[in-house]
Amino acid sequence: MAYDHIPLDDEFKALAAFDWGADAAPLAKLDAAVIACHGDAALTADLERRFGEIVTGKASRAAKEYACRKLSMIGTAASVPVLAPRLADPAESHMARFALERIPVPAAGDAIRNALGSVSGDLAIGMISSLANRRDAASVKPLAALLGGDAKLAAAAAVALGRIATPDAAAALAAAKPQAGPVADAVIDARLACADAFLAAGDREAASTIYRSVAATVGDAPKTHRSRAVRVAAQSGLLACLDDTVAP
Amino acid sequence: MPVTSQHGPMSPTTALITALVLTSLIVPQILTAADAISASTRQAADDVVSLLGSGDADLRAVALDAIRHGLKGDWATRMVADQLASLPPSRQAALLLALADRGDAAALPAAAQVAASASSAEVRAAAVQLIGRLGGPADVAVLVTSLSADGPQRDAARRGLVEIAGPDAAAAIRAAAATGSPATRAAVIDALAERRDRAALPVLVQAAADGDAAVRQAAMRALARFGGPNEIPAMVQSLLKASGDEQRAAELAIASVCTAARNAGPSTDVLIDRYQAADEPSRSKLLPALARVGGPKVMVIVDAMLADPARRPQGLEALSKWPDATVKDRLLDLLGKADDPQEKDLLLGTLIRIAPLPDNKLNDREKLDLLVKTMALCERTEDKARILERANAIRTIETFRFVVPYLDDPALAEPACRSVVELAHHQKLRDANKDEFTKALDRVLGITTNEELRERVARYKAGQTWDRKKKN
Repeated sequence: MAYDHIPLDDEFKALAAFDWGADAAPLAKLDAAVIACHGDAALTADLERRFGEIVTGKASRAAKEYACRKLSMIGTAASVPVLAPRLADPAESHMARFALERIPVPAAGDAIRNALGSVSGDLAIGMISSLANRRDAASVKPLAALLGGDAKLAAAAAVALGRIATPDAAAALAAAKPQAGPVADAVIDARLACADAFLAAGDREAASTIYRSVAATVGDAPKTHRSRAVRVAAQSGLLACLDDTVAP
Repeated sequence: MPVTSQHGPMSPTTALITALVLTSLIVPQILTAADAISASTRQAADDVVSLLGSGDADLRAVALDAIRHGLKGDWATRMVADQLASLPPSRQAALLLALADRGDAAALPAAAQVAASASSAEVRAAAVQLIGRLGGPADVAVLVTSLSADGPQRDAARRGLVEIAGPDAAAAIRAAAATGSPATRAAVIDALAERRDRAALPVLVQAAADGDAAVRQAAMRALARFGGPNEIPAMVQSLLKASGDEQRAAELAIASVCTAARNAGPSTDVLIDRYQAADEPSRSKLLPALARVGGPKVMVIVDAMLADPARRPQGLEALSKWPDATVKDRLLDLLGKADDPQEKDLLLGTLIRIAPLPDNKLNDREKLDLLVKTMALCERTEDKARILERANAIRTIETFRFVVPYLDDPALAEPACRSVVELAHHQKLRDANKDEFTKALDRVLGITTNEELRERVARYKAGQTWDRKKKN
């Protein structure tokens, strides 16, 4: 279908001037265009460019967030240079990351991973969370490096490694030596998550190795509610690994 | 090791042939499904068995979860069920329930043994529950036997007879309805009713004529749920045999069949035919059932009675049992002309009963009009009090305004208080007319000493609700 971008000029002007509380009706055509562009490379590229201009321009935060949401749906590698510089800005980091997390090109993951090295605190936890959501195997090393540091980052990194759930991620978690507390709990949970993922993928041996190792950490007579729950999870997992009458 | 036979050493060839022959004879017999199970799964099964014996409740829960969802195959079911005898009662019950959830009928023999022999009622109940969920026709007998037990086992057997699946099981239950003690047969019939087993109608018809009242009543309860015109003659015969509470229950059962949406007309026609064909004493017994059905065809019969001075009392009695307010004009007319105090009482009582019935024969305004007219015809305080109490079934502001002035009448203030409070219970009505309700509720506080009413008033005034106490 041929695409004529001129009819959307008024809508993009309205978006550039849009702010929270204003009439959102003019944006309905943009919503429709984002849906209509599926399979239409020309329309997609044009919309991506114009939403990118909103993000880099002087539009309100409301307009930029709207544009980021649309880029999360239609963004390509072309949007990465637009969004990546915003990851370190506390005001724009969240929505830029929201878009990058969903753009299915390696460059988007690279951008988030690179930003992880340059931000701290909640912004860093956000990057870790997005890398986990992308199941970004290339992030195992930088995430593993965080396991021995700041407790909040270490716990977030452990959770992320559990979601990435590659053999490298499982190995990094097994090698971690956190002190008892939230980080150690997060590492145990993440190891169980890795084991569940291995079992679901049919690798019963790798899964059972982890379940057995986790069960050993709580011993035969766990005293806390949490350690009892860990033992139940590990024991259930071990039985499931042995039982090949049931598909993983 | 040298290969030998009872006749001495074998040559390798003979040994090979012997081995092949033995293998061909024996292997097919021993190569059961269990032999196809991997060593790993066998280990899992062994672990489950081991965990079942653990002193740790968490680990036992892991085992029970694996029994519910893992270790597929009847070999595992039997292996686990074999552990029942070695477990203490509370763990036996938990294992039986897990096996029931597992859904494998291979657990049935072990469960049947436990149901018959366990000393713990909890365990027997769990075994019966398993049998009800997984069993077939052969297991109906165990469930029926368990109906004679106490408490949870009996309850589990009742549920089991409702749940047990398959046409053959249904046939076995129908057969069980004809044998055993009256109490057991009544319980089996109740199960047939709960199953809505229409194929059981001949059994129910037969049971409705049984010599035992409990069996008859169970059959009538069942027929009330899904009987039709074909069953009415048997129900009529059962009613004719009954007296007291059974008679009233039989009347209601017949009325239920004749007023159910399905087959209501044909069922009523059969009932009328039976009434017309009956002798006078039988007619007297059938008339209340007929009256509870109502409708124009029955009204023709009742009108003929009212026109005949000798049968007028019966006609009035029939009207007093009418199921809806369609007879209101006839009742008002008769009341206006009535001289006999007993007749008046009957007619007034009927009007008060039918006016607010929620049967959609009258709208709310017509219902209230009828109560207002009836109130005008009342002379006795107790009748007026009944009207005020019935009025709160018509949840409108007009009803509230009808009731409120009676707060000023010392003789009727208390029933008026109850009705005002009952109407205030309905938040939409109360909130839409907040000022009027607040004033009336304040007046109720000044009149009644009933603690419950006072508590309700306080809650309604504070915009709160009130939890109605459940009737036992």
